[in-house]
This record gives sequence, structure tokens and C-alpha cells, in this order.
Amino acid sequence: MSVRSEQTLRGIPTKPYDLLLEGVLVLGLVSVLVVVLAALFGSPDYPTVRASDVARVQPLALVRTAARMLAGQSDLNGYGPPYTTDRAGAQRVLGVAPANWFGVSDPIRPARDLVLAPLQRASALDPSLVAPLKAFEAAGAGQQHAWARAYLKALGKASVSGGRIVVPSGAYGPVPELMNGMLELGRSGLLAGALEASGRQPYALNPTRALLFFQGPVDHAVAGSLNMRGDSWGISHETGPYPGAWWLWPYTFLYQVPPMVHSANGDLQVVVIVLVALVLVPLFLPFVPVLNRIPRWIPVYRWIWRSWYDRGT
Amino acid sequence: MNLTRRFQRVLQRNLTLEDALPTRMPVYVDSLAYLFGAGALMALVELIASGIVLAAFGPSWYHDEPVGRFFNALHFWGVQVFFAALALHIFTKFFMAAWRDGRWPTWAAGMLAFFVALFAGLTGYLAQTNFDSQWIAVQSKDAINAAGGGSIFNPMNLGQVLTLHVVVLPLVIVALVGVHLILIRRDGPVRPLTLRGEKAGEGAR
Repeated sequence: MSVRSEQTLRGIPTKPYDLLLEGVLVLGLVSVLVVVLAALFGSPDYPTVRASDVARVQPLALVRTAARMLAGQSDLNGYGPPYTTDRAGAQRVLGVAPANWFGVSDPIRPARDLVLAPLQRASALDPSLVAPLKAFEAAGAGQQHAWARAYLKALGKASVSGGRIVVPSGAYGPVPELMNGMLELGRSGLLAGALEASGRQPYALNPTRALLFFQGPVDHAVAGSLNMRGDSWGISHETGPYPGAWWLWPYTFLYQVPPMVHSANGDLQVVVIVLVALVLVPLFLPFVPVLNRIPRWIPVYRWIWRSWYDRGT
Repeated sequence: MNLTRRFQRVLQRNLTLEDALPTRMPVYVDSLAYLFGAGALMALVELIASGIVLAAFGPSWYHDEPVGRFFNALHFWGVQVFFAALALHIFTKFFMAAWRDGRWPTWAAGMLAFFVALFAGLTGYLAQTNFDSQWIAVQSKDAINAAGGGSIFNPMNLGQVLTLHVVVLPLVIVALVGVHLILIRRDGPVRPLTLRGEKAGEGAR
């Protein structure tokens, strides 16, 4: 026994003990528990939302998503760093916006990168897209937004015929052809690849743009049907009847209460509270007055060490 | 100066073989509460073992093949057991005021391991490549971006998420757990709180 241990345990009676045997027994117990749970219940594995599925099942949702980007109405418009230069869009607490400290590290222009660029790539296979793309690019931003907004409004009366979206006649410019091009691209299964194609490398390890494309109403509709939206404690839920990441409850709980629940700066407010209350305080808890006295006041220790106290030592 | 001799002396003073692999324990170590830490440690062993198999065969295997799905389930339930054991471990150590008598470094190493494990859990959910991953990626990005972390960590970047989850974070967790265990064995089990007189905060100093 080391010098330090002799000092620590001086005067304390000891008993025989087998560390390795205890470890092996606990490992056996844990293994049996995990194997039984896995064999009985399996694991959740709800499939991803793919563009081809959305184009087939909800073609209007795909087209509406793309048209909102052309209209400048995407959630990414005005998002701020790391995607856009709109510094005013960054969340703030006490006037401090940490997102602005590091600037735009992953620039994303929603209309350009998530709609027009994929269509540009698709036009190599579908030449009928070339003229609408040229017409759209030739128009000014105001005209482009006006066409897209009018088209979005008309989608309320749209129908699907022969695999194409048909809207009542109106001043939409080339937007209907472009949106049917997006629908066709989605249906073909090539949209995700067209969104990610960077031209720099052949490997697809970063699906950021494909994930951002459907992050709005489409993902929310699926998540809503699975009871996984933010107002249902969001990401601490699991798909299907399985336990989720319950260890994140303290974090997701903060999104359910004012002011975070309605605040435009809610994410940053939650992060600040988590860093202080759930990271720094637990880490330095032994030095925090009052909190370090709680073990005295709630005598769980009497149960843990009951045999010691029963000895009357 | 003989470095080897110096290191031997450090070990003799702090961590002999009997400290590292004890055959005797103070009599007050007599409760189920002492097994929760071991439970979390063994669940971590199970997670690493099932994780190695999942990493070796890849996502198509654990999505589509029956044996792959079973190993995926082993990993999934291993996480549940790991965090359950860990929660009980932290809960009981808190109510034992186990940081007393200079044991704050042990407490801190354990807490840091827990925080890294939470991040490993997040990257694990992101690495599943199913709707859960897709949803958590787009939802969690906003808090990360708001905190200024978006330029360092992008939860939608599968390449980054996967390597963090499979390589970097397990190594960090194992290192922190290693420090935690060495400190535990160096200092021995904390003495029981005295029934009156002693302050729970004492010994943090």
C-alpha cells in the first residue's frame, strides 16, 4: 500500500476484496442486460427523408420549398454566420453575438446554391432547362422575387398532372419550368448529389446542403408526425416507442419555458444557461456554497453507509 | 537524475500495485451505490466493443442486415445502460459528497468525461444516418451556430461527425476515464460523512 493510502485509511478496518472479480461480474451483468434488451426490442431506425420520396409523395412540398428560396423567404435568408453575411441575424445575449466572432465559414446563398446551381447541373441532361435558367438569371432580383412570390401564392390552387405541377396562368416568368425541373430532379434521385457537387472532390462526406434543403416544413411535418418537434422536447425524443436521449432533458426543458420558448435569441439563451448551470456549476460544485451542503441536508449518505453507522464507529 | 527511479518513487508514494488492484477495501465500502461507477465503466467497454464491430462493417450493414441491426441494437441499448449507470453514479457520489479530502480532481475528471460522453452521444445520434440523425442535425445546428461553434463543428457534416464519434471522442473519453480511475485508486474511497459536525464542503479545499 502506498504512503498516501496508509495515511488516508489509517485506523479504518478493512475486509477482503477482489477488484477484478467484481469487474468481471459487473461486465457480465451489463452484457446480459444489453443483449436481452437488444434481442427483445431491437433498435429504432426510421428512414431518412429523401428528395425522391418527397417528390413522389408530396410534390407540392418540394416545389414550395424551392420556390421559397427563389422568393428570398427561406429560413436561411438573413440567418447570419456561419452561412450568410447578415450579422444582424445572429442571436444575441446582452448584446453579444458569438456567431459573428468567426464570420461566414460555410457560405450559402439559398436561391443560388440550393436551387439554381442544382438546376444548372441538371440542364446538362435536360436542355429544356437552359432557356428558363437564362431568362431567370437575366432578370433583376426584384423581378425574380416577384415571379417566385406570385408562383408561391398560385401553389395554393395548383394541381399535379402527368408528374408536373400545374398552376393557374399568371406572371410567374420562367419559375414554373424551373420548379418542374426541381421536381424532376428530386424524382430522379439526383437532387442530393446535385446539391452537394462541389467539383473539388468525388467523395460525398458532407451532406449539409441536402439537409438544409429540407430543414423547413418538410422535415417539420415528418418530425411532427413522430412527436419530435421542438415544442415536444425535440431532439431528446427517439423515433418510435423507444427511450430517447433522456440525458438531454435538462437541455430540451429550457426550450419549453419563457423567455426561451418565444425568443428569437432562444438558442443562445439556452446555451448560456447550460454552460453556467449544467457545466460550470457541476464541475466546480464542491466549491459552491449551499449546493455543497445539500448532501448533509438530504441524508442519502445514511443509506449508503448504513452498515458503517450501524457499527457505531 | 534517474527518471525511472523518480517515477518508481512517485508510484511508491501514490499508486502501488495494491492500490491499483486492491485485495482489501475499507469496511464502509458496503453498498450497491459503489457498483454504479463499475456499471458505467463496463457499459463503456460494451459500447466500445459493439462500436468497433459497427465501424468495421459500416452503415449499410447495420441498416440492412439482420446481424448488423442486432449489433446496432446492442450499441443503442448500451448507450441507455451507460447513461443510466452514469446518472446513478453521479447522483450517489454527489450525496456522498465524494469530493471531500482533496478529491475534487477526481470529481472534475469524472465530470469532464461525462460532458465529453454527452457530446459523443450527440455525434452518435448524428452518425446513425437515419431520420433521427437528419432531424437532430438540422435542429442542433442553431444552438451550435448561435454559440459561435458552427465554424468549428458542423453537425450536418457526416465526415466530421463520424470521425469524431468513432475515433476522437472515444480516445478522449478513455483518457479522462483513465485519469479518473487512477485518481480514485490513488486516493481510495472517501470516508463516510460523520453524523454531526463535519461540513460536506470541507475537503474540497
